Amino acid sequence: MSDAASQPANSPSADRILQAAENLRRNIQGDLHEHVVEALYADAARIADRAVSRPGVAAQPTFDRTLDRILTSRLWGFPIMIALFALMFWITIAGANAPSGWLAWLLVDQGWPMLRHAAEGLGFPWWLSGLLIDGIYLATAWVISVMLPPMAIFFPMFTLLEDFGYLPRVAFNLDKAFKKAGAHGKQAMTTMMGFGCNAAGVVATRIIDSPRERLIAIVTNNFALCNGRWPTQILIASLFLGSLVPAHLAGLISAGAVVCVALLGVFFTFAVAWTLSRTVLKGEVSTFSLELPPYRPPRVLRTLYTSLIDRTIIVLWRAIVFAVPAGAVIWLSANVKIGDLSIAQHLMQSFDPVGVFLGLNGVILLAYIVAIPANEIVIPTILMLTVVATGSAEVGQGAGVMFELDSDASTKALLQTGGWTVLTAVNLMLFSLLHNPCSTTIYTIYKETGSVKWTALATLLPIVLGVVVTFLVATVWRLLQ
Amino acid sequence: MRGGAASLGVNMSNWTIIICLLALAALLVWLKRGMVARWRAGRRYAARVRREDAIKHILKCEVNSGEATMESLAGHLQIPTDRTAELLESLEDRGLLSLQGGKIRLKNAGRDLGLHLVRAHRLWESYLSEQTGVSEAEWHKRAERQEHLLTPEQTDALAARLGNPTTDPHGDLIPARGQPVAGDRGMVLSAAEPNQPLLVSHVEDEPAAVYSQITAQGIRPGMRGLIVEKLPHRIRFWANGNEHVLAPIVANNISVEPLTDCTGNDLLDEEFLTGLATGQSGRVLGLSAACRGPERRRLLDLGFVPGTEVVAEMKSPGGDPTAYRVRGTLIALRREQAALVRISTPNSIAV
Repeated sequence: MSDAASQPANSPSADRILQAAENLRRNIQGDLHEHVVEALYADAARIADRAVSRPGVAAQPTFDRTLDRILTSRLWGFPIMIALFALMFWITIAGANAPSGWLAWLLVDQGWPMLRHAAEGLGFPWWLSGLLIDGIYLATAWVISVMLPPMAIFFPMFTLLEDFGYLPRVAFNLDKAFKKAGAHGKQAMTTMMGFGCNAAGVVATRIIDSPRERLIAIVTNNFALCNGRWPTQILIASLFLGSLVPAHLAGLISAGAVVCVALLGVFFTFAVAWTLSRTVLKGEVSTFSLELPPYRPPRVLRTLYTSLIDRTIIVLWRAIVFAVPAGAVIWLSANVKIGDLSIAQHLMQSFDPVGVFLGLNGVILLAYIVAIPANEIVIPTILMLTVVATGSAEVGQGAGVMFELDSDASTKALLQTGGWTVLTAVNLMLFSLLHNPCSTTIYTIYKETGSVKWTALATLLPIVLGVVVTFLVATVWRLLQ
Repeated sequence: MRGGAASLGVNMSNWTIIICLLALAALLVWLKRGMVARWRAGRRYAARVRREDAIKHILKCEVNSGEATMESLAGHLQIPTDRTAELLESLEDRGLLSLQGGKIRLKNAGRDLGLHLVRAHRLWESYLSEQTGVSEAEWHKRAERQEHLLTPEQTDALAARLGNPTTDPHGDLIPARGQPVAGDRGMVLSAAEPNQPLLVSHVEDEPAAVYSQITAQGIRPGMRGLIVEKLPHRIRFWANGNEHVLAPIVANNISVEPLTDCTGNDLLDEEFLTGLATGQSGRVLGLSAACRGPERRRLLDLGFVPGTEVVAEMKSPGGDPTAYRVRGTLIALRREQAALVRISTPNSIAV
C-alpha cells in the first residue's frame, strides 16, 4: 500500500501494471464479482467433498421423500390440504365456544355487575361509571372473551403445522394459482394466517422476501375472513338465511352461506392481487424463491409457548389498546346529547339514507365506524345501537351498554324491529367481508410497510369494494322484487 | 346613517375582493414558491433536458461513424425543424457545438457534456439492474430521467459504488470519466449468417416498442445463440434452448458478435433445468446471461453454481413450480427460473 502510494504516478512499471490490469479486465467475459462467487462455491464444494464423509444413505430423506410425494401429489395434494384446514377451523370454532362462554360469563355476567356495584358504593357519578365500566370495561371484556379463545387455539395449531414443515408444501402446491395473479405461493400461508387474524397475517408476510409480492400479500390479507368476523357471519346466516328453508336444511344452508362468503374473500384476494400486480405495483421489485425444509417432529411445548407469547398475546394486547378508546367513544356517542337526540342518533339518522341505498342501514354503518378497533364488537354494538334507535325498552341494559342476547329468536326479533330484511342480512355479511381492516391491522400494516400510501390503499380499497358490491346486490335485489 | 351603512357594505366587499386578488397574486408570483416561478423552473428544466438530449444524439451519431443532421435531430427529439434550428443556435451560443458549412460538429465542452450523459445513463441502468431488481422494462425509462439529474461527482460516486462496471445491462460499454465514448459493437443480427454461433453483444433500447418485444422474448446481452433460418419477413433465432421468431425490424435492434469457441450444434444441444423429468439429475454448467441482479445472486446463494448436481425431485400438482434437490436442500423454482440454469445430463455427456 505504502509502496504504491509513494510510487510516482507516471512511473513506467506502474503504468504497465495498470495497463495490464485494464486489459485483463476488458477481456474477462461477464461479471467479475460473479466469477469470484462461483470460484468460492466451487472451492467450498471441493473442500467439503474431501473432508466430509457421508455414511450410506440416511433413513430420513426416504421418509421425507415418501411424505412429499403424497402431500404434493396430483391426486392427494389438494384433498389433504382442504381436509387439514377444514379440521383446523372446526377445532377452532367448536373448541372456542366453551371458553368464550366462560370468559363472557366471568367478565360480562359476573364482573360487570360487580364493578357497577363497587362504583355505586364508592359514589361514582353516573357518567363516570358509565364511561369507565359500561363503555371502556365492557368493550375490552367483549374483545377478550370473543378474541382470546379462538386465537389461543388457532395459532398453536398453525404454528405446529409450520414447525412440522407442512406449510411450505402448501405454498408449493398453490404457487401456480398465486403466480397467475402475480403473487407468491407463500401468500397461501399468510392468507391462512389471516383467517385466524389479519394483523397476524400481515406480520406473517415477512416470510415473503420479494418486495412486490409482499406488498400484494399485505394489501389483500384483509380479504381473508378473520376470527373476529366468523361469529358475525355465523350468527346472521343462521338467523336470516337458515330460516328461509325447512328446519332440517337450515344448518346446511347457513354454513354454506358462510363458506360462500369466505370463498368470495379468496376470490377477491386473487382478483385484487392480479389487478395490483398489473397496475400500481408494476414497477416494484420481484424475485421468487421457495425452500422446502425437511420435515421435523414439532416441538409441542415450545410451539405452544412461542405462539401464545408472540402471536396471541401481542395481537390481543394491541386489540385491547384500541378497544379502550372505542368503548369510551361508543358510550359517549350514545349518551352525549345534542338537542333532544344523542350523537349516535344524529349520526344514525344522517347515515341512514346512504345505508338504505346500499341495502344496509344507518345502525350498521355507525357500528362499523365505532367498531373499527375490533370486528368482535360489531354485533354487540349493532344490538345496542338498534335499541337506541328503536327505543325498545324491554331489552338491553341502557344507552351505550353493549350486550348480546341469550336466545337467537329474541336477537332476530330485535333486529326486525330495527327494519332488517334478508337483504340487510346478506349485505351485512358481504360488508363484514369487504370493509376496512380493524385498527390493529391498519397499525400493523403501517408498521410493516412504513408507508402511509400502502396503508391508505390497504384501508380504503376494501371499503370501496364493499360499497360497490353491496350497492350492486341491493340494486339487483330491488329489481327482482 | 343608512347611506353610511350601505357604503360600509360596499367597502367591505371591495376589501374582500382586494384581499382575494392579493392572495391570488401571491399564489401566482411568490418568489421561488409561486406558481409562475414553478412553471418557469419547469420550463427551464424541460429546455435543459432537450438541449442535453440533442447533445447526446449528436455524440452517438459521431461515434457510430454517422452524422447528425437537423432532420435526424428533429426526428429524435420529435420537435418541428424550425424549433430544432433554434435549439442548435442556442447550443452554438453556449459554445457546445459549431455549425460550420452546414455540418454539426461538437466542441470539447459539448463532447464532455455528452460523455457525462451517456456515462450517467449507462451507470444508472447498471445500478437498477444489479442492485434494485426493478423490472427490465423500467431501466431505460428511469435512466432517461436520471441522467439529467446526476452531477459528474455523483456519477463518479455511483461508479465507485458499483465497482466501476465496464458494460451496462444492454451490453454497451460504460465510458470512464474523460475517456471517449466507444461506438456500438458487433453487427446487427439481421446481417449475421445462419448456423454461425453468435454472442448477443447489445440490445438497443430505443424505440421502446421494439425493445419491449425483445425483452418479452427474453433476449439479453451475453446470451449465446444462432440463426436457424433467415426468411425475408422473419428470422428464426435459437437461444437459451428456445426458438425466437423475430421480425427484421426487431432483429435490426440486436447486435451480435461471432463466437469462435463453440459450434452451432453445441448451442442447439444446450440443456436447461426445465428439461429434467422428475427423478432425473443433471450437473449445473452455469446461469444464463438473462438472469441478472438480485435473482442471479439468489440462485448462486442457493447453490446453483457450476459443477453442482441437481435432481428434479417433484412437481407441484399444477405442474409448476418444480422442486430440485441441490446440495441436500429442496428448492422450488418456477419454470422461468429453471429455464435460466444451463445443465449437462449424463445423457448428453455420453453422446
